[in-house]
Parts: sequence; structure tokens; C-alpha cells
Amino acid sequence: MPAVDLAVEQDMTIDRMKDHELHCGLRVFSSPLLIVFLIGFLAFFLADGAHALDVPPLKGYVNDYANMISRQTQSRLEAELKAFERTDSTQLVILTVPSLDGETIEGFSIKVAEAWKIGQKGRDNGIIFLVAAREKRIRIEVGRGLEGRLTDLTAGRIIDLVVKPRFKRGDFNGGFVAGTSALIDATKGEFKAEEARPARKGRSFSPMLTLLLFAGIGLLFLGSFSRVAGGIAGAIGLPGIAFLTLGPSMITLVLLGLLGLAMGILLPFLFSGTGHGRGGGMFFPGGGFFGTGGGGDFNSGGGFGGGGGDFGGGGASGDW
Amino acid sequence: MKRAAMHLVLLFVIFSIAGCGYNTMQRNEEAVKAAWGNVEAAYQRRNDLIPNLVEVVKAYAKHERETLQAVTEARGKVGSIQAGKDIVGDPKAFARFQEAQASMSSALSRLLVVAERYPDLKANQNFRDLQVQLEGTENRINVARTRYNSAVQEFNTSIRIFPNSLTNKLLLHLTPREPFKAEAGAEKAPQVKF
Repeated sequence: MPAVDLAVEQDMTIDRMKDHELHCGLRVFSSPLLIVFLIGFLAFFLADGAHALDVPPLKGYVNDYANMISRQTQSRLEAELKAFERTDSTQLVILTVPSLDGETIEGFSIKVAEAWKIGQKGRDNGIIFLVAAREKRIRIEVGRGLEGRLTDLTAGRIIDLVVKPRFKRGDFNGGFVAGTSALIDATKGEFKAEEARPARKGRSFSPMLTLLLFAGIGLLFLGSFSRVAGGIAGAIGLPGIAFLTLGPSMITLVLLGLLGLAMGILLPFLFSGTGHGRGGGMFFPGGGFFGTGGGGDFNSGGGFGGGGGDFGGGGASGDW
Repeated sequence: MKRAAMHLVLLFVIFSIAGCGYNTMQRNEEAVKAAWGNVEAAYQRRNDLIPNLVEVVKAYAKHERETLQAVTEARGKVGSIQAGKDIVGDPKAFARFQEAQASMSSALSRLLVVAERYPDLKANQNFRDLQVQLEGTENRINVARTRYNSAVQEFNTSIRIFPNSLTNKLLLHLTPREPFKAEAGAEKAPQVKF
């Protein structure tokens, strides 16, 4: 996934920039840094929307970007959380970040929740256990479906009584392990994993596809009356659909208009069964072209991912 | 025959354009309604916490009658505004709602500042629990407001852009919805700190 790679690269860029700012002082505008900055800048625009900038990519159950958890503890937590999801379908994800860069932990947390969509769709059973190292802030973000079991109060107590004392002693591994167990205990049994869950939410056809189908039938119908009518309908309909669903530039619209004109005149002719079967094959790739143009807002990579859970800002924050 | 075909062309064009815009606008209006429901629920949640909070504070800080009264009064005012779906479509009612909630917020933050002066109160477990709940509720309000605003923005855009604006004028007659504006002096949610 190029977007993920870019985000990683960009995160690294930000870190390097910070180092430079700290160490170089006034030499901020030296040329290598400028290049680094430009790459970061490009990554910003390519990284799929404004929110993706700050939210690090989801790697697994434990996303330790601040290097607070030892490797051994990490694999233990991964196994525990994986088993928990298998039995209860509830997703619990840990994220540590080096710094919040001036943002509130609540604001950042909801952005992560919106980007990662932890939890199953419709059940909204996701939990994000977020820790900001420099600010010494902890947040437990609770998905809507778990707000009844894991209330703000319970989350607050887990932070205050379980996580905080261990973090204060510098025992981060113990804090994460104990906090995770407490969260699992609090939410166990609220949901049950189904025997065989449908793999992915099947997204319905885009409106464009429906419209194109309609337009195609309309063109056939009109074109069978008269070629002029078919041509006009094609010339207006095709750019119309493109405008409504894609919103492209004027030039594209004009070109699509011409294409639509041609299709409106020729389509009924091709379907009239006069042995021009090969021609029909020629026009369908056109539909394929529009299809690929319309999609592309899915950001679910392979492997681990959120299931589309919704968050409404429930949970609690604390510091140590 | 040709005229019939032309009529059909016209009909087809109207339906392909108007039909789409129509659905989008309807969907967006429902999204605004849903987002508003969440805003109301979050505010209601806060309102429900207040009697308990007032009780706890009263037990330790009897002398702060004025502050406590301000909170109770603000709560009454919020309650008297009939919170319902019609608020979203009525700019005046929306402004009233926002104003009442803003005065509630400021009365509440004054109360919490006052509470800082009473160590016994601060140490009370009940009070601390209420603070956590209040904090969570303020966060929910924030989230709900932000989402409401983006739903409103999408809705307002969808009734203004070209083919939709025509559909709206002819068929739907939807009016733009009001977004939440940042309250004067309340850019930050009241800080609830131990």
C-alpha cells in the first residue's frame, strides 16, 4: 500500500526534522533538510486526506511508536489480544506515540479512532489504549458498543488504579499488561464472536454504476426510436452522470459528451442483432474505465485492520 | 414518434439529474438529524450529572450558595428549551439552545474552580467519580458537535451546488442548517483537573 509507506516515511521525516531543529538551531534551511521537508510536504498531499497526516498506520494490536514496551511483552500482548478478539470479537488496540505535538489527547484519540475504525461494524466494540510519552498522558477510547460495560468511570478507574501507579514507578510493561487485562476483564462477555463472520462488509454498488446501467438501458430504448434522440441522450447523460458522481473538469465533460453522442447512436445499432458482436466488445471497456475512476477510497490494507467500529468520544483520560 | 422520443429524452435527463440530487440531499438531511440527536444526547448526559454534582459539592462547600445556584439555574434554563428536531431548522431556536448550553458550561466551570478550594471535597471519591464522568461527557459533547458541524457542512453544500439547488428549489425546499460556532471565551472545554 503506497499510502501506508508514505505515512511511515513521513513519520520518520517528522522525527528527523525535530532532531534537526533541536541540534542545528538556525541551520534549519540547509538543503538536505529542505528536501526532507519537500518529501514530507508531498507525503502530506498524497497520504489520503488531511486526517491521515497525524495518525500513524495500524500495524497490529500493539503499535508501539514510542518504544515503551519490550519485545517480549509486545508479543505476549499481541497473543492475548488476538485470543480476545477471536472469542469475543472485541478489538483492543494499543498505541503509544512519542509526542502529541500540542494536540489534546482526546482530540488525537478520536482522530485515531476515526482512521482505524477499531471494532466490528454495527457492534462498535473497539477500544484504543493510547499513551503519549512526552506529555505523560493516558487515554482509553471506548467504542459506542462498549460504553455500557466500560463506562467512563470504569475506564477512569483503570487508568487511575491500575495503569498510573505502575507508570509512575517506570514499569511501563507492567502498566500495559495490567491495563490490558483490566480492560479485557471489564468487557469480557459483552460480545461473542460468531462462528463464521462474513469476511468484509459488502459495500453496495456506487451510485454511478446504477446510473450507468440506467443510462445504458435508456440509450438503447431511445436509440431504437431514433438515432438523434439516442445521440442527444448520450451526449447529455454521460457527462451528466460523470459530473454528478465524479465532478471532473469541463474538458472531460465535453469529451464525455462526444463519447456519449457516439454511444447513443451506435449502442442500439450494436444491440440490434445485425451481427456486429465484435463492436459491442469494443464499447464495454468504456464502462470499465469509469468503474476504475470512481473507486479508490478504501484504505484497508492486507492483514490486520479495523472492522468499521464507531466511536463517540467515550472513555477517560489521565496522566502520570 | 420523434416528439414522443424527445419527451422521453427530457424526462430521462430530468430524472437522471434530479433523481440523484434528490437522494443525496435527503440522505444528508437525515445525517444532520442523526448527528443532532447525538449532540442532544451528549448535552442531556451532562444535564443528568449536574444534580449529583451539586449535591456532593453542597455537602462540603455550603458557603458557595451563589455558584451552586447559578448551576441549578442554568440547568433549569437548558431544560426549559424544548430540545427537539425543530431546533435544527430554526436559527433562532438554535441560537437559544447554544446560548443556554454556553451559560451552563461557564456556570459549571465556575463550580469546578470553586471546588478547588476545598481539599476535603477534592479527596471525596464520589466527587472524583463525578469529575471523570463530567470529563467524559464534555469530550462526548465536543465530538458530537464536531460531527454535527461536518454533517451540516455537507448538507449545506449539497443543497447549494448546481443541479441539487434546482431540485431543492422545485421539490424539497430545504433551508441551510446552522453549524455550532465557537463560543466566546469557551474555545476550550472546561478543564476538569484534580
